[in-house]
Parts: sequence; structure tokens; C-alpha cells
Amino acid sequence: MSTLTKPTPQVKKKPLGQRMAKYWGFYLMFIPVLLFVIVFHYAPMFGIRYSFYSWKIIGDPKWVGLANFEKLFKQSQFSVSFWNTIVFSVIKLLLNTGLAVVISLLLNEMISLKFKKLSQTIIYLPHFMSWVVTASVFSLLLAPSESGLINQLLIQMGVIDKGIYYLADKGWWRVWYYIINVWRETGWQTIIFMATLTGIDPGLYEAASMDGAGRWKKMCYVTFPALANTIITVLILNLAKIMNLFESVFVLQNDSVRRATNVLQTYVYYQTFNSGASADYGYTTAIGLFRSLVGLALMIMCNFASKKVRGRGIM
Amino acid sequence: MKKLLAVVLCLAMALPCMAGAFAESTDTVKITMMVDTTVVDQNNGRDAFEARWEELHPGYDLEIIQPDHSAYYDVMQQRMASGDWPDVLILSSTYYADYAAAGALWDMTEAWENSQTKNSGRFNGDSVIEGLKIDGKLYGFAPTRGNGCVTYVKKAWLDAVEMETPTTYEDYIKMCEAFVQKFGTYAVSAAGFVGNEAPFVNYLPEFYQDAYPFFVQLEDGTWVDGFTQDSMKAALQRIQDAVAAGLIDKETLTNKTSDARNKFYDDKFGVFTYWAGTWATNLKTNLEANNLDGTLVALKPLEGLPQYYDRVPPVWCITNKCADPQKVFDAFIDTMLDGGDTQMLWTYGVEGVHWSKSAGTVLAGTEKEKTYEEGQFHMLENLEKAGTLYTKNHIDPMLSLASFAEGYYDPKADSVKPEAKAAAELFNENSRLASIVPATSEMSEFNGDLTQIKSQIIADIALGNISVEQGMQQFVDEGGQEMSDAIVESLNALN
Repeated sequence: MSTLTKPTPQVKKKPLGQRMAKYWGFYLMFIPVLLFVIVFHYAPMFGIRYSFYSWKIIGDPKWVGLANFEKLFKQSQFSVSFWNTIVFSVIKLLLNTGLAVVISLLLNEMISLKFKKLSQTIIYLPHFMSWVVTASVFSLLLAPSESGLINQLLIQMGVIDKGIYYLADKGWWRVWYYIINVWRETGWQTIIFMATLTGIDPGLYEAASMDGAGRWKKMCYVTFPALANTIITVLILNLAKIMNLFESVFVLQNDSVRRATNVLQTYVYYQTFNSGASADYGYTTAIGLFRSLVGLALMIMCNFASKKVRGRGIM
Repeated sequence: MKKLLAVVLCLAMALPCMAGAFAESTDTVKITMMVDTTVVDQNNGRDAFEARWEELHPGYDLEIIQPDHSAYYDVMQQRMASGDWPDVLILSSTYYADYAAAGALWDMTEAWENSQTKNSGRFNGDSVIEGLKIDGKLYGFAPTRGNGCVTYVKKAWLDAVEMETPTTYEDYIKMCEAFVQKFGTYAVSAAGFVGNEAPFVNYLPEFYQDAYPFFVQLEDGTWVDGFTQDSMKAALQRIQDAVAAGLIDKETLTNKTSDARNKFYDDKFGVFTYWAGTWATNLKTNLEANNLDGTLVALKPLEGLPQYYDRVPPVWCITNKCADPQKVFDAFIDTMLDGGDTQMLWTYGVEGVHWSKSAGTVLAGTEKEKTYEEGQFHMLENLEKAGTLYTKNHIDPMLSLASFAEGYYDPKADSVKPEAKAAAELFNENSRLASIVPATSEMSEFNGDLTQIKSQIIADIALGNISVEQGMQQFVDEGGQEMSDAIVESLNALN
């Protein structure tokens, strides 16, 4: 059976000029934002053309076609850096989000409001430390000598005989990279989940209680399902940003692990400032363009996933 | 009323333009100068510096472009890329070689030969200027040496092990072993097993000796990669042995310079290779602040070992877009070391702002309050950091390449501490200039990766993760040899 719908009356739009004249105040206020976006976001995009040139600032750029991209895919350090960018970001994202959910659920179960607020403050604080300070603190904690708290604790407990140089070992470096990221970022990520939790209808908990559900069952069958949509949203939104990895890796690197831990942004940095001569900005722009294209592909995928999951896109 | 207001506004906008037009009609020569914060910045009396310079150079208008220190090379490159080049700018050795090769800098060889500074009889930096020449041509001028590091040994530690100052490598190792045995800690620490800029090896000179991990030109003019030479293998073995024996702090790998300094101040080790000159005083005062004996013995290079490295100083260059480079050279560069008021300005700053000869009390922290009599030279309190005193402006008096003219008051004796002077003199007498490596396309293409391969191998060998032979094989396997050969070939093609 077909459904009859009432046709929407056609409203004749006024000409653009008239509408602009009517809302001239809004358009006036929009001009600075428009200019800002054009000057700082769109105009620099013309720099993309340098990825097809060889250019060292002085002199005219020399057209090289796709040679920069050819070189890029031949460099073993580029593929290592690209792979590291993906792996570090995805593992970091999963760990941070997963633990943020767990912590939020635990915080939500706290009865003492004072203790809850104190706990929240303590876990938020590391987020406000700069990465440079964070790296200095963990370098001290992880030192192989007697000043390294972690090693001393493990030695006292009889777990190890002598200090391990965690930051100089490629395997340990990755482990501690994830731990440090979790320590610094997870608390901050709980904010969004805590906000969702406070919005859950108390009636659902009352109904669950009447059905005989304990705290654990309430958490499994009321709280967690209410959070699910937010978890997916957070994952999707963060997935689109995974190519932007620099500072956290850069500050923890040292000579011994650098080549094994480079990500795309640190690779560009060393190509630019460590070349012993002016960098070829064409090559580094090509890396940047490649990074942007991967980021764009991820955004499109995330938008598609978001539409499927939430019913609306993120773009 | 509105019309009147509009007329007033129009006039207000038009008048400065007219004033500009009138100003341009005079004979003033404008010099745009780009510099990092090695010259006093806006918060530290830059306007007074500029006014005083213009007062000393009538007919010239100096415009100073001074980005933040850490952003200097970013901003400088952006400006060069935009085509809006300054007349004069300061460049590090890397950019100097690169820009000279690209034809961006004015060839000042002839101007220098005929300059008042060179022919003044006061100039003592001919070797420095020679070292700045690229293919026999001079594209920049340095008013100072680049400075470098000397090895300091704590006198108290030497006394504790009842040893004399070492003069040979064997004595030096014996001293380090004695320190380890006596104090139960390592003897030497540094910020990195290898530096990340030339001269790379200056923090561990006794262990590197004649080895150098970058490109070097042999006496016959041939370029080689120092990393592939036998001297480097021997140096890496020495470092590995010393770390394994506990003589060198293994945390050298992750130490920043501040970490190494703090460990020295905390008496964690006794032998520290660090900057000559003013740093000798800083090290002493920081040790004393920790209630330790601040007496340090600066070592001469050990017998049979090469001299300390004097890094290539930052250089003042005139760009090829400067309208009248000879005039700018004469007014700006050739007066920097004039032996008189301009040299005083570049060295100590502006009287009444950065230094004074008037009677008064200077507050440099409550414990360092000092009163000066009329006519006594003294530096003034830092405008930005209360409680600290200015020590210099752009030219470090201990590194200056020219003395003041005879009869002109030289404040060095009153402003430089004896230990700093002694360390600087020892360094100046026992140092050699690091060489400038010309820029090539291959260098810019491969050296970023190559440097990382070298640094990783040095770190892994130092920590004993791999042997020297394995390290050298890794260098080949990871493509280091291939990149190195390509750069060496490109450098030799310049000969």
C-alpha cells in the first residue's frame, strides 16, 4: 500500500543579493573568518605544487615530475616511518580509548563524590604536562642507573639483576611509548565518556534494580550499551587524525632507536634539518602530500563508517 | 561633522606617506639586517642598540629583523623563499656553504683584503677568515671565533686519588679508572656519544682523537667520509671499552646537555668536556652552589692527540640583492671590529642600558649586590631577567678576533673572570678550526638518512650491543656506504 504524503509547498527563494542585503550584519561578521580560512588554510595549499619540483629555497624550483614520489617509495626509511605511523597510532588509539572506557566506568561506580573528583583531577593532570617535560620525567624514571626508580624497584623485588636501559632498546622503547601515552592521555579522554555517563536516564538503573540486577549487571547491561555509540564516535574521529604523530615520538627518541621508531613527521623533520645542506623542499612536500592523501582516505572511510553507525557523517 | 571627520582621517593617513616621501628624498642609506638573538633583542634594549649604531654611522638607517632564536632559520628561509632578502644576515656554517654555492651571497674577498679591519694591525683571526673561504672566495665575515670545548677535571677528585694532571692518553685512562675505583661512579659523561652538528666529536675528544664521523678533506684535497676510516674504528673501540669498563656514563646516549651539566654539579662524575671561556665560570659557580670545591683544571690536548675543535663561527653575509654591497660592507661589517665605539657597542651593548661607568649598586640577586665607584666599568642588570647581569652583546670579548685600539679602554680585564679567561686562552692556543663542507645535491639528498645510520651504529657500538666490525657491516648493509660514496664523489667533483 502506498503512502500518500502531503506535497511540501514550494517557497520561492529571494535572490541572493536581496538575502545578503537583509542579513548584511551576519555576512560582515563572517568576512574575517572567511579571510582567515582563505589565507591560512586554502592559500598555503598552492604549496602542494612543490612536490613536483626540486626546490632548495634559493633559486627557481626545477620541475621533476613524479621523481620525488619515486624516490620516496624507494627509501627504506620512508616505509619504516609510514608503517610505524600507522602501528603506533592505531595501538595508541585502541589502548587509550579502551582504558578510558574502563576508567570512566570505574569512576562512575564511585560512591564518594569527593574521592571521585580527586581521582578525576589526578588522572587529568598529566595531560597538561608538555611532552618535553613528560619525556624528561620518564627518562629519569627509566634510567638504567641507580637514579632510575623503575629499575631500582624491579631489582629490589628480585625481578631483574641489573638495570635495563629501556629507552635504548628498540623493543622496550615501544612498550614504554604506549605506557607513557596511556599515562598522559587516557585520563583526559575519560571526560567525554564521563559526560555520556551522566546523561544516562536514572530510570534505567531503577528498572534494572527492580529486575534484580546487581552493580556488575547494571554496568554490563545499562551503562556499557549507553556508552557504545560514544566509543565508536571517539574511535572514528580519532582514526582520522592518526597521521598527525610527531611530538610524543620525537621527544622520546635517541640515536640508538631513532631509525626503528621514526614516524612520517619525524622523518620529514630529519630530512629537513639534518641533511647537512639545505633540504629539498620538493621532496619533503611530497612526503607531506602523501601523508595528507592517506589522511584524506582515512577521513572518507571514517565518514562512511560514521554514516553507517550513527546515521550521520562527520564531514 | 561627518565630512570634517572624513577629511581629518584622510589627512591622518596621507601625512605619514608624505613624510615617507620626504624622508626618502634625503641621502640616508637603509640597511636591512636579519639576525637571531645573539644581538640584544627587543626586550633587552634593541632599540637603544639600533639608535646608538645609527648615531655612530650618520647617513645610515638600520632596520633589524629579529625572529625568535629557535625560529630563526625557519623565518630566514621563508624570507629568502619569498624573494624579500635582507641586505645583511647571519648564517650558520651549513647555510653559509649552501647559500654561497647557490650564488645568494656577495663575494667579499676583495672588500676584505682592502678592509680597515684586516689592515688594522689589531686583527688576529686570519686563520678563521681563511677557514671561511670556499674555493678561495670569502662570502662572509665572523667577528669572533666559533669557540669549542675543553676538558675540565675536578681538582678535588684529582687530589682525592693523589694524581697529577694527565698528559697522555694512558695517564688519562688511569685517572678515569682511579676515579671509578675511588668514587664508585663513572668518570666521564656527555650529551650524546656523538654530536648532532659540527664538530660532532667535541664532547668526547680524548676517545675520538683523530677520528671524525663527517666528511673531511685530506691534505691532497681529496674528500673522504671520516666514518669509514680506520681511525673511526679505533675510536669506536675505545669508546666501547670505556663504557664497558664503567669509565663513561652509559646514559650519555640519552643525556641532554643540561642532564650532563647537572650530573657534574651533583658530583656524579669528575671529567667533563664542555665549552671554554664563560662556561668555566658557570661550572665553578654551580659546583660551589652545591657546596663543592669549584676548582677545575682545564686539560691541554693529550700528547700525540690533535688539538681541540674550534667550531665554524656564525658568519655575517651580504646578500646578492643588496643594492650597494660595498657600502654596506664598509659601514656594517668593516666597523664591527673598529677598535672603538662600534666594537664596544657590538661587544658590550649601549652605555646606560647594558653597561655603565657611573657610580652605583648593581643588583644581581640579593647575595651578589655590588657597589661600583664612579668610572668603574660594570655590566648592568638584565632588563628581562631581574637578578642577573648582562655579560656581553653579540661579540664575546674572549672570542673577539680583534683587540680594541691602543688607548681605547678595554673592559675585558674588569668584566671577565680569571678562570674563564684562562680556559679561553688555553682553548685558543690549542684549537684548530673545523672545516666547512661544501653543499652538494647528493649531500642534501642522502645526508639526513646517512647521519641517522651513523649515529645509531655509534650508539649501538658504544653500548656494546654490536662489535665494531658488526657496526661497519651494518653500515654497508643499510645502504650507508652507498650514500657515503655518492656524497664523497660529489664533493670530489667540486675539486
